Amino acid sequence: MKYKFSTILALGTILLAAGTARAHHSPSSIFDMTKKFVLSGTLTQVEWVNPHIAIYIDAKKADGSGVENWKFESAPPAFLRRVGVNSGDFKKAIGTTVTVEGNRARDGSPYGFLQKITFSDGNSLAMVSPNEVNDGGAAK
Amino acid sequence: MRKPILLAAAAIALTAVAAPAQQNSTAAASKAPNPASVHPDFSGIWAFSIALPAPVLKRVENGSTSYAQVDLSGRMPARTEVPGALPSAAKPSYKPEHQAKVKYLFDHEAKLDKVFFCGKPGVPRIGSPRQIIQLPNEFVFLYEDISGDPYRIVHMDGRKHDPNAEPTYYGDSIGHWEGNTLVVDSTNFVDDTWFGEDGYFHSPAMHVYERFWKVGDNLAYQITVDDPTVLTEPWTQAPRMVKPSTEPLLESPVCVEDDAHRMDNLDHHLQR
Repeated sequence: MKYKFSTILALGTILLAAGTARAHHSPSSIFDMTKKFVLSGTLTQVEWVNPHIAIYIDAKKADGSGVENWKFESAPPAFLRRVGVNSGDFKKAIGTTVTVEGNRARDGSPYGFLQKITFSDGNSLAMVSPNEVNDGGAAK
Repeated sequence: MRKPILLAAAAIALTAVAAPAQQNSTAAASKAPNPASVHPDFSGIWAFSIALPAPVLKRVENGSTSYAQVDLSGRMPARTEVPGALPSAAKPSYKPEHQAKVKYLFDHEAKLDKVFFCGKPGVPRIGSPRQIIQLPNEFVFLYEDISGDPYRIVHMDGRKHDPNAEPTYYGDSIGHWEGNTLVVDSTNFVDDTWFGEDGYFHSPAMHVYERFWKVGDNLAYQITVDDPTVLTEPWTQAPRMVKPSTEPLLESPVCVEDDAHRMDNLDHHLQR
């Protein structure tokens, strides 16, 4: 089966649902899920909160006029916990340079939806399609 | 109602099981419980997951790549046939004068559903318990939920509903056995929750019946909502079934949802 990337991430948001019908707004209600963008900067803060975690990054403005603080939201902690990711995976990188890939909020503010983060040591965490696993990854 | 039949069947079945035991071991027979007091044991940790495709976490660490995916097999799809379930309906039947309100709430749920914004889901939206502690005169239901991690006490000592109880999100719950099915009868709810994500509002008169029974090692669970103020008839939902789990409960991180002002459409994803 094929799943759209945005759908996959949306599903992540409801994994915290406690057993009965539950939903949440779609990432597409806020973010332009049709376009990805990449941003590098200094990781300044990690919020391990429901319904989705958030990280903050100081990045240079595109016009070179200074630095602005970006917020990226991502999957719910209940999901990340179940795939072996904890807040420490992010917090240990505070103060270092990270590169994030994601989707920007359509309102133009420095706000994004995190799909991948690459740390300064080259390690990375990403939400990917099950197809990638089926296409040769070592699923566990 | 199937109550008398189930009780009789349970008594016969237990007697049949007990009889060979008496023949085989006098010592064992002397310890055999009175069949009339025997009920299934629901104690333990129960899985929570959804019957939908999962996102995959790809981790690259020191040059090696691994993938991790949430085990979604813990809960069967809502429409899977579950032995012992009551007949169910896909939707509740609202009185004509309330149908426009339900539609409005459904159409705007991305902004109006308080559960989207860390609100307590209440009963029955909280779902089945993550952990059950079964005691002689009560059940303790434990839950993991982003709004906090609620608990419920289900009294099994024959008491009636407390007429002076303050309305709450999880209600005043009393339980009884119908054969091998635990029936939890809850009322005294606040009226600002929905009993389903599609804008299913209710009145303070709502009564919720949760039925729990075993299907093999799994826990089957089915909800009936009765609210004669807004519904034309009680609504019994499709049953669900959850598997036993060894994953311990953990405190849920605090919930902070503050991006509603950024939404420029009402898209949301549904789960059934």
